[in-house]
Amino acid sequence: MSAPNCLRCLLQLRPSVALPRHLLVARSTAAIAIAWTAPFSTTTANNAKTGGGGSKDKTGGHIRAGKKIKLGKFKKNTTADRGKAPAPGERKAFRKKILLSNNNALPVPGLVDLTPEHMLDPQNAATVLSIPDAVVDQLRAVEAFKPTQCWGVFRKPSMLLRTETIDLMNRMKGAAKQKQTLRLVVTGDRITGKSMLLLQAMTHAFLNDWIVVNIPEGQELTTASTEYAAIPGSDPVRYMQQTYVLKLIQAIRKANEKVLSKLSTVQSHPELPQHIPVGSPLMQLANSAKEADNAWMIFQALWQELTARGRPPMLFALDGLSHIMKVSDYRSPAFELIHAHDLALVRLFVESLGGAGAFPNGGAVLAATSRGNSPRAPSMELALQQREAEQAKAADVPQPDPFFRGYDERVQAALRTVQVLKLSGISKLEARVLMEYWAASGILRTTVDESAVSEKWTLGGNGVVGEMERAALLTMRL
Amino acid sequence: MVINQALSPRNNFHELKLVKKALESFYALGPQASARVLAKYSIHPRAKMGSLPPKTITALTAELSSMTIENEARRIVQDNIKRLRDIGTYRGRRHAMGLPARGQNTKNQIETAKRLNRVDRKG
Repeated sequence: MSAPNCLRCLLQLRPSVALPRHLLVARSTAAIAIAWTAPFSTTTANNAKTGGGGSKDKTGGHIRAGKKIKLGKFKKNTTADRGKAPAPGERKAFRKKILLSNNNALPVPGLVDLTPEHMLDPQNAATVLSIPDAVVDQLRAVEAFKPTQCWGVFRKPSMLLRTETIDLMNRMKGAAKQKQTLRLVVTGDRITGKSMLLLQAMTHAFLNDWIVVNIPEGQELTTASTEYAAIPGSDPVRYMQQTYVLKLIQAIRKANEKVLSKLSTVQSHPELPQHIPVGSPLMQLANSAKEADNAWMIFQALWQELTARGRPPMLFALDGLSHIMKVSDYRSPAFELIHAHDLALVRLFVESLGGAGAFPNGGAVLAATSRGNSPRAPSMELALQQREAEQAKAADVPQPDPFFRGYDERVQAALRTVQVLKLSGISKLEARVLMEYWAASGILRTTVDESAVSEKWTLGGNGVVGEMERAALLTMRL
Repeated sequence: MVINQALSPRNNFHELKLVKKALESFYALGPQASARVLAKYSIHPRAKMGSLPPKTITALTAELSSMTIENEARRIVQDNIKRLRDIGTYRGRRHAMGLPARGQNTKNQIETAKRLNRVDRKG
């Protein structure tokens, strides 16, 4: 059995240096006896004062406490203060936040604002130009900027005009001139600038007073995260997405205010709850969408008006094509999965892309595939490969795998006549211009010479823009 | 009825509560059944209680009152156990004793059986 007195307490009686030696000897022999009578010791007094040290007995000696079982030793302290939880939606807002300028970045000397002509002139390939402020607001309204793009490290949103950009803009302009619709899918490897090309197309459209309708993410429509309802009287049944459409109408109104305010309605819309006579401003029609309930009806009326003859050309764009080229996550009342093409808004886009709903005033329907976030859509991949081979007049067009059952006839039909623009890396000249822009903004802190450009271009997988960014502006997206 | 009280006024479920979770809070209404109910009324799986129009809530209440959930479902389980006990089966007896009914060891680890195997089973 252990001694009742704590050894540590006894050790505290070690003699101080100042004590005479003969006293010391005497004390060490009678240590236990004088443990609580030592006049110089403050231990007991301290213990009594603080109530600690386990000296609860009257003698003042330290009694060793037995082993105590501590229950729930490994349980986390649930009462720990975690601070204030973020309000609903705050985290998402932070995640989706888009910063378009940074006052710490250096202003780039000689940076010119884009004009409509800039994007058409082949001379301007491989130049960096900035987006005018008015267009920035419009692009923001249609959600053309993505949180993954690093706008937030430069002074002013600017972009590199690539040869593909100039090419696409000229095709868009040519189509609009002949009142035809350019139907095109932008595809390519990861971070090669597909969404950026869409943004450039939208910039071109805004600069030329086109009407722009943009669906920023195809997945928002098909991952069953927004409200849906069967359209009454439709056969086969189609589904509207009221809340999303309301948001879309508001985006259209905000982004195209300049164009819409000059236009007025040419058709009567007796089906609408609010009476809108022929000749009333289009903004009034767009403004009448206040609630989700009748949003789809108003959107249809607005669409009819926008595609009536004599309107400006229209750009209809969508990012993340593979999300709308599959069976959606929505379920019908009979508990069957709904094909994405049965969702009315998706259907509108797919028909426009497939050529069924051509725009009488010309324009473009652009879609971009996504590599980072895309479900597998074998039919879409095959169709795009086929179109690409046909465009290149290749001898062997890829054929469907006869032993694979996952193909989707509706997807193949939708993509039968589209054009495909495949993006890959930028040229070394473009890379150099871009790196000079980075250096002038004070972000890239090396001299931009032949070897530096070559190095980054190679590190970036032969000029894949996003990879070059990673290689050069290291901390940005890693 | 309890269900009517539970769903019809909105304030019984917080308006930020997922409709799916609200449905699954009823006994005998699990993920499968709730998915079907949601599909039947075209409610997307991430819908919150606050976003439902009153019409849909009424419809859901009607739907729930036609389903065998809560006490009705509990009674079915209790009746099954009672029947087993009354005809004197081993399973019935084990239920009455609050012990595992399927040959498990009883030296330890029978908390679930102790909790659930009762003639008037609640959960």
